[in-house]
Amino acid sequence: MLLNAVIIILREVLEAALIVSVFLALSQLLNRKLWWMLIAMVMGFAGAYVYAINLSQISMALEGTGQEVLNASLHSLIFICLLIFMISVPHQARPGWRRLNLFTIVLAVIIAIVREGSEIILYIKGFYGIPELLHPVLIGGAVGAGIGLSVGVFFYYLLVNMHKRSGIWLGYLMLLLVGGSMIAQAVEFMIQADYISASAPLWDSSHLVSERSAIGQLLYALLGYEATPAPQQAAAYFGSIALLVIAACVSFFFRSKSS
Amino acid sequence: MKARFFLWLLLVLSSTVAAGPPVIEIEIKDHLFYPDEVRIPADTKVKLLVKNLDPTAEEFESYELNREKVIAGNSEVIIFIGPLSAGEYPFFGEFFPKTAQGRVIVE
Repeated sequence: MLLNAVIIILREVLEAALIVSVFLALSQLLNRKLWWMLIAMVMGFAGAYVYAINLSQISMALEGTGQEVLNASLHSLIFICLLIFMISVPHQARPGWRRLNLFTIVLAVIIAIVREGSEIILYIKGFYGIPELLHPVLIGGAVGAGIGLSVGVFFYYLLVNMHKRSGIWLGYLMLLLVGGSMIAQAVEFMIQADYISASAPLWDSSHLVSERSAIGQLLYALLGYEATPAPQQAAAYFGSIALLVIAACVSFFFRSKSS
Repeated sequence: MKARFFLWLLLVLSSTVAAGPPVIEIEIKDHLFYPDEVRIPADTKVKLLVKNLDPTAEEFESYELNREKVIAGNSEVIIFIGPLSAGEYPFFGEFFPKTAQGRVIVE
């Protein structure tokens, strides 16, 4: 039970911690104040709790596809935040753009915590009535959360302590991968809910890197790795990354012209 | 005449119900799947109705099927799978993976 709790909490915390740490590092590198982080985390956990206690009703909404639609929306919203973030960074000399830029960071952090936090709350809440299991689950959960947060802290300090230019570039690269992964997951949920029809996987790399393995799990958190992706998922992944790159380049180009 | 009409109505209704994907029920009890082996035909879309009878939450997950869905305690969810090619597709309960194991056999 204990080890199982470690793994489950680690998985969820790792995904949210990566997004939060990259945004935190980029805010630091772009000379932002970090007080918003606390507010975003509190709001994120409040949202996660509301999601968790209403899960049954959400699941049965929209003819049993409410959970998929909500998760796909949350993933898409994070992507939209990333997109606006990338577009607004080159214009941050202007106060309006700067506020918009901060708003996208806060919103993305809140949504990431709502999405991953709700599963953690649901998992732990199930053990409330079982005291002999609750104790090991809480300890295991704390260990898992500790490891996940450590990875986040590691990435934060890695980015912040790099040469400023390379730190920003690596942060951008990680956001691109997060963006692709968000849209690919949104598409997967829409397939699961039968809004997008399923088709045979584009490739099967499960014999190379299984999604069950530790490397597979880490690659999933970092790159959104799938061993057997549907063609629509792969197209959405690469398409959304391309969209982020193009949007960032166009925005940067117009900044150079106006200044 | 009336009886005939109702028979006709019944036929129409049952055929519209049958027109949707076939529904397969899976129960979760004491962190086990019942049944833990589900047989479905190849190239057919199937609707899984997963009922969690435990007070604890569970997450239906399958890497092979590319599915993940959280099920709160004492509630049920719907998961669409397929159309799939013949083969074996394991699934498990992420929250209790030691016991909650099952597989979909497509034939």
